[in-house]
Amino acid sequence: MLLLKNILQLTKFSPTILIKNYSQYAPHYIDPIFKKQEQDNLIQSGEVSKIAFLPIKAARNNDTSSVFHDHRVSRMVNYIMKGGRKDLARKLMSETFERIKRIQIERYHKSKTDEERSKLILNPVQILHMAIENCRPVLMVTPIRRGGVKYQVPVPISEKSSYYRACKWLVEASREHDRKTHLPEKMAFELLDASNNTGRVVKRKQDLHRLCEANRAYAHYRWN
Amino acid sequence: MLLKNIRNFNSSIYISSRHCFRPYSQGNVNEESYIEDEFRVLNLRKTKGKQRENAKKSKPPSVPPPRYQQMATDQDWSAVWPGPRSFHPATVPLPLRQGWVPLHKTTPGKFANAELMKIPNFLHLTPPAISKQCEALKKFCTPWPKILESEEQQEKHFPVKFISSDYVHGLPTIRNPLSRIVTIKLNLDNLQLDKHAKDKFLRLVGERYNEQTNELTIVTDRCPLKQQNYDYAMYLLTALYHESNITEEWENTKQEADMEYYDWHRNKSKVTSTEILNWRSTSDKKIDPPQGYINSVETLMNEGENDYNLNKYKEEVIKMLGLS
Amino acid sequence: MLLRRSSLIKSPFLRLFSATAAEPKMNLDDFRTIETNPTKHSKEHIGKYYQIDDTIRKKLFAHGGIPKKYEKQIKTFNESCLMVRPQAIEIIDFIKKTDFSKPTVRYVLYGERGAGKSMTLAHLAHYGYVNDFCLIHVPYAPDWYKRPKECGLSTIHEGMIDIPLECASWLIHFKLQNIDLLTKIDAKTSKTYDWSKREQTPAGSTLIELVDHGINRAKYAADVIAALIDEIKIASTAGKFKTMVLIDGFNSFFYEKTRVSVDKKARRWPVTPDKVTITQPFINITNYDWCNGVCILTVDIIGMLGWDRESNLPRYLLGKEGFEHLDPFVPIKMENYDDLQFNSCISYYVNRRWIQNTEKGFDQELKFMSNSNPYKLMELCNAL
Repeated sequence: MLLLKNILQLTKFSPTILIKNYSQYAPHYIDPIFKKQEQDNLIQSGEVSKIAFLPIKAARNNDTSSVFHDHRVSRMVNYIMKGGRKDLARKLMSETFERIKRIQIERYHKSKTDEERSKLILNPVQILHMAIENCRPVLMVTPIRRGGVKYQVPVPISEKSSYYRACKWLVEASREHDRKTHLPEKMAFELLDASNNTGRVVKRKQDLHRLCEANRAYAHYRWN
Repeated sequence: MLLKNIRNFNSSIYISSRHCFRPYSQGNVNEESYIEDEFRVLNLRKTKGKQRENAKKSKPPSVPPPRYQQMATDQDWSAVWPGPRSFHPATVPLPLRQGWVPLHKTTPGKFANAELMKIPNFLHLTPPAISKQCEALKKFCTPWPKILESEEQQEKHFPVKFISSDYVHGLPTIRNPLSRIVTIKLNLDNLQLDKHAKDKFLRLVGERYNEQTNELTIVTDRCPLKQQNYDYAMYLLTALYHESNITEEWENTKQEADMEYYDWHRNKSKVTSTEILNWRSTSDKKIDPPQGYINSVETLMNEGENDYNLNKYKEEVIKMLGLS
Repeated sequence: MLLRRSSLIKSPFLRLFSATAAEPKMNLDDFRTIETNPTKHSKEHIGKYYQIDDTIRKKLFAHGGIPKKYEKQIKTFNESCLMVRPQAIEIIDFIKKTDFSKPTVRYVLYGERGAGKSMTLAHLAHYGYVNDFCLIHVPYAPDWYKRPKECGLSTIHEGMIDIPLECASWLIHFKLQNIDLLTKIDAKTSKTYDWSKREQTPAGSTLIELVDHGINRAKYAADVIAALIDEIKIASTAGKFKTMVLIDGFNSFFYEKTRVSVDKKARRWPVTPDKVTITQPFINITNYDWCNGVCILTVDIIGMLGWDRESNLPRYLLGKEGFEHLDPFVPIKMENYDDLQFNSCISYYVNRRWIQNTEKGFDQELKFMSNSNPYKLMELCNAL
């Protein structure tokens, strides 16, 4: 009886999580905190004592404590990458930033008044952030079969997925041109356009939203 | 009868759970025979278990214990093992083990161990045995010359080292082909060559000269016998020595590219720097470039360039051109 | 035009420069110097940026002289500034001390890739221009041997190969740089040059006429260069003017092979630089047998064609022949930035809005990543 009780207790505390793909880490491993700033925050708030004895996953090799590390940028590099050639992808990304900076600084010098200058954003990373924010969709359509007919049913999407879609659209738009223009060149323009809430990618988002709006009559197919 | 029944009961239980009822059945001597009487075992396979047990076991042949067990600790080992002989486990009083085994197993002992027998042993060459033999041989030897006590003196009186090898092996012939190879070594200082002769000698011997140890090594192996090879090596050494002391006519046409080191006085650098220093000078007396500059160019060219040498060169040039 | 919409996105980024800040005043920044005349540059200006006047820059470096990547920066930064490097000051000091009645002193700049050899050469070219030196400036000699536009057998010198377009464009470059000086001073040709039966440059014509002839008749450009350089040597030895020779990638004149070839089949037997007609005049001008001049040369590892690049040092790059040709020369090592220059460079970039992310410790990280190498630093800052 005692044994049975023990077993019950054990099952009660071990989390029964459905693991989709096998991970090399057990589920109780926590993600690494590799940024100096975040580490300092944890130490100051005292939360570090909570995770002091927890096992930690190894940091991936693009997780650096560099000052210039940005999560969104490193995701974007991954979306640009083809065939595992990350060095090339990083090079393309940095070239994009260089072009953005050159365009913006040129505008900065051309503009006459201080007011105009103050409104210009020169930081390429900030422009990337703005562009992604502007391209994020809220809804998307998913095909659902009802009575032998496929309906494009509008569904809300998660935050993560919306970020993914925005990045993917931006990269696709940058690739979608004649072979003579290089990706960084095109991408710089796309990012600048999107951060200004104009351009092809923003239009694509709006088209999707319009489709969802048009198909809102099918929305109830999500449940029945 | 009752008793019998009880016993019967007892023994039947005894079969099923022996441990529990053992205390009760203890002390009864005839118990086993009762069981045999009552429960005969059905022997389906008709094996003759009992007969086997009763069959006489064959005795191992009477072998005397190994010899090492009777050996005295202060015995004369060279008498036990006087000459070369393959390993014998009973004779060698050592707890030897030899052989490969899988992990976590013990290596086989010395008895019936083919590996120990295969390898050559030197049990007949223990230090006492050797010293004993040396003692015996001593009466045939002359004393070691006093003049050759130290290594320097040996080097001085016998500058040529002669190295060859003898082999013992299991073939019908006693001549191992490798034993013909002869190596002679010589410190080059012993030849007392002059500047020209040394340069020529080094060019002739090529890679046989070791710069670090200043040593010449000649290996001869083209003749079938050791003596022939030795003679040939000596011939080579003699020929090299005399050849390098001869100055041929064509050697006077030695070009700058043939030089073994950079000599400032033979190079364009001398012409250039002298001309620069004497630019538009009318006096007959020519100014010579300073010695520091000459040295810096020579070290730069001979030692190869590095930051230190280049800096030195720069300083000297600045000094010479009067820029400081 | 990009507008900042604070309602749309909360900016997590630090904004360094307040909107009201006007264009930074020149004399307030400690990384700048208002001394635009390189003659007056001294040790106290080391590590500071000085501005080249745009008209001068266009005159001196219209056909090269400033590396292309830095040209791009100049366009973006909206001003042409150069850092005063200690090596440039050292050479300027040497030039000031030089007794010009003695044979020409040769200076050789060497150092690792991207350390600033070409930029120092540009600074010195400016110095030479300001001080009325006749400039014989080769922006990048390996270009002639690495990617010649057109090559053919020379009609005048048998067995030699000619690169007429390069020769003519160098003459244009020369003319643009020296037109002021040559009009001011009466330098005349000392003898008659016969180019063909009908064409000749008579003795006593100006050097500009000689140069013009080479520009108009590219076929004779190589010979015009040879004649021009002879004339300059004679004139400056006579004391009519001083001459400054600036050659970037001088070691390519002594490298064992080039990509110059008349037909593709002959590529297996590479042409050596001394078989190209343009080589000889520039080797001639770097010789010691003239005075009233100064030679500043750089040796550059990327001037070599193959992958057998082992060392940055001058003896290796020049080879024995080249070394003996220049010896005795003053070797000057281009070092990477020291702390002062590095900080000055960083604050210049920040001032020009080239570095946008200025979180704490960014300069330390850049210093570590670039090893204070100027070119690497510039590359790293491109994406920030």
